[in-house]
Amino acid sequence: MLLADARLPTGAHTQSAGLEPAIRAGLPAESIPAYIRARLRTVTMVEAGAAVVARSRTLIGTTDLAADLAEVDQAWRARTVSPAMRETAALLGRGYARLLSRMWPDAPAVAALATLRGTSRAVVLGVGAALAGLSASQLVRLIGYEEAQTVAAAALKLEPLDPMDATGWVIDVQPEIERMVDELSSITDVADIPAVGAPLIEQWAEIHATTTQRLFRA
Amino acid sequence: MTIVGTRSLRLGVAGPVGTGKSSLIAMICRELAAELNLGVITNDIYTDEDARFLRSAGVLDPERIRAVETGACPHTAIRDDVTANLLAVEDLEADFAPLDVVLVESGGDNLTATFSPALVDAQIFVLDVAGGGDVARKGGPGIGRADLLVVNKTDLGPYVGVDVPAMIADGKAARDGRPVLGVSRLDRESIDALTSWVRSVLASFRSGTHVAVDPGPMAPHFHATDEGQGYTHAHEHADHPHQHAGPATTRA
Repeated sequence: MLLADARLPTGAHTQSAGLEPAIRAGLPAESIPAYIRARLRTVTMVEAGAAVVARSRTLIGTTDLAADLAEVDQAWRARTVSPAMRETAALLGRGYARLLSRMWPDAPAVAALATLRGTSRAVVLGVGAALAGLSASQLVRLIGYEEAQTVAAAALKLEPLDPMDATGWVIDVQPEIERMVDELSSITDVADIPAVGAPLIEQWAEIHATTTQRLFRA
Repeated sequence: MTIVGTRSLRLGVAGPVGTGKSSLIAMICRELAAELNLGVITNDIYTDEDARFLRSAGVLDPERIRAVETGACPHTAIRDDVTANLLAVEDLEADFAPLDVVLVESGGDNLTATFSPALVDAQIFVLDVAGGGDVARKGGPGIGRADLLVVNKTDLGPYVGVDVPAMIADGKAARDGRPVLGVSRLDRESIDALTSWVRSVLASFRSGTHVAVDPGPMAPHFHATDEGQGYTHAHEHADHPHQHAGPATTRA
């Protein structure tokens, strides 16, 4: 629960899950629920898939866990075309890694992360899930929920909306999130991480990275 | 994860919108850039206006001024979740090592916004005379317990009908004797007083005697006495001794 809580001190409040550039590019407010579903079927699937494999690698705990995690990170990078999105994920990964190193200072997985640079949020979340004793299904559900909630919360700051409507969107995508859980919870191999891109979302992320007037980092 | 080789003094600058936080930072940079290695992080609410202002002021290498977006939550970014700012400070420290001071400018917020000690070692709270002569009297954690309270734009006092010495006296009364400084960009003496305060905090930080003080969420409040003197105190400080009789306060 804590990992998906916006009050968790990892810098998540600076994020709109790509919504700010989408709205700037003309996405109407009534399309935001569709935007959430589009994310859940593309970039979030890739992230959650990588997180599940990273969790599994952490639990196996081979002698070279750092290399194992780096391989998962590479697999996620290969599936994330936009440099801006990779950079954002690395920044968020640092925020989570900072939290993990404070909560589990002696964990070998935390030591392994410390030897890596720019590890994506997905991989760090996978490690966090392993340390916190979350199941793979819980991890996927958490990532799906967090994605939907990030968009919904950001929408309230970007558009004149009723907060109740935004909460409704998150509840409405629950079946979508459960479908992610079914598809991803049992994967253990990097080859099984979905490779589904969202070119428009990636293009918006690139544009946002060079925009000067922005409310959210990404 | 970044390995930070050197740790600078991290100095926060908070205060309401338009009180002159960016100008104060520009002033500090202009005065101290020759003797100290400086960096600046700004937290604009909707733009990188402050970062651009500081870069265009030409007081510091533009590369050393970085903007952090706060997702419309400037208060959160300096208090409840300092992650984005902390990472930016660490990157700046790593990229320009060794830095002496990193100034962190909060996005203009309200009177309750103060920095967490997890982000800064010391903080300046900025008010200005144009914002109203009564603001210092209103109190709040920043006014009451920031390491320094600056009453800015003192030269405007006559134009906005504010009695500057009275406003500074209000600030002192709200602060248990902690420093209050009237500053004007036109008053050389006030600029020198500001820079010597920065130098003294840096010296105390380097000697290891500096202790980061959290102004805390609660405003200190005022109790009038029979003599009409009054004193100000904050209850969460009850765990260390402090006197109510005079301005001198013992700090743990």
